[in-house]
Amino acid sequence: MEKSIESIWKDGFLKKDALVAPKINELYKQKSIHIIDKIKRMMKMNLYAIFGFAVINSGIYVALGTPITGIVIFFLLMGVCWVSIKQAKTLKNIDSNLSSYDYIMTFRTWLNLAISNNSKVMRFIYPLAFLAALMPIIHALKTVKVTQEAITQSSLHLMYGIPTVMWLIAIAIAGAMFVYGDKIYKWDVSLVYSRVFQKLDELIADMEELKK
Amino acid sequence: MSSDFYTTSILPYTVIILKLCRAYTNSQEDFEDYYQEVCLQIWRSRENFREESQWSTWIYRITLNVCLTLLKKKKNNAQYFASDYLPIDEAEENSAFADENLNELYKAIRQLSEIDRAVIMLYLEEKTYQEIAEIIGTNPNNIGVRINRIKERLKILLDGKVN
Repeated sequence: MEKSIESIWKDGFLKKDALVAPKINELYKQKSIHIIDKIKRMMKMNLYAIFGFAVINSGIYVALGTPITGIVIFFLLMGVCWVSIKQAKTLKNIDSNLSSYDYIMTFRTWLNLAISNNSKVMRFIYPLAFLAALMPIIHALKTVKVTQEAITQSSLHLMYGIPTVMWLIAIAIAGAMFVYGDKIYKWDVSLVYSRVFQKLDELIADMEELKK
Repeated sequence: MSSDFYTTSILPYTVIILKLCRAYTNSQEDFEDYYQEVCLQIWRSRENFREESQWSTWIYRITLNVCLTLLKKKKNNAQYFASDYLPIDEAEENSAFADENLNELYKAIRQLSEIDRAVIMLYLEEKTYQEIAEIIGTNPNNIGVRINRIKERLKILLDGKVN
């Protein structure tokens, strides 16, 4: 028997239980799982990127004739990776059976702690990496004949064959990096994660309003 | 979301929300996700409602926007995980309703373009051309022609089982 589209539509929905609304009590379950998984994936990718950069960077310094700088920066970056991996392992302690709100709040607390710990580490990493990166410049100033002559003919006070004022400037920059290391790190983190962190906070705000 | 808001502002429109969500999803899991997301978006955007249109029109618009956004996201994901999704979806979409004819009709509707799905469903829900145009944001003059074209396409998709 042929029916019209309109009658199929009407008759179909006349049947009992044709449309049952899903429960909306665990509204944010999937959302919290998705966003936390996304952040975890991003962190993992970031670790691979740091590792890749460390390897390439070492190769560049070796090619420039200053392998020690490459090795120093490589180990500094490996230190960063090690701290991150160690912190990521503690993520497994978060009970996935918690309610979506408790789960996301526990994760946010963990994230804040991880950022705080990393910023403490980065206060040392930034100035040390900066000083290590200066090594090739110092090496060049001391080995290239023209610069070597310019330095020795200048009236500047020298320390290990380099003008003391240059050492002081380098130390001042490294010192500033130590003082503002946490701010630099947070800016660095926001470059990569600001959007997803904002989403996470919006989700928490929504959940809190829903709880009211 | 307070239960009052849900009861007074969403519940009366649940049927159309559910019907629309069904047209944009192929599995029960997606259907529930879409429905929940629509309810949340209605609640979130409640303060943006300016009373320039009816509350029902506002709700239909949000439902469509959410469904289209989620569908787009799903399509993007499917490009990466295509083989994981399709077989399950195909199996579930055929048994969402007890009425076999309705299942067939939904199957055909899902083969229409995203906007055509909305147009035909709003038509089947007996919305006026003016309301349909307002909801999907188009000119009401073309709605009638468009509906006829969609119905012809549905007849072909349903293999001539409808008159």
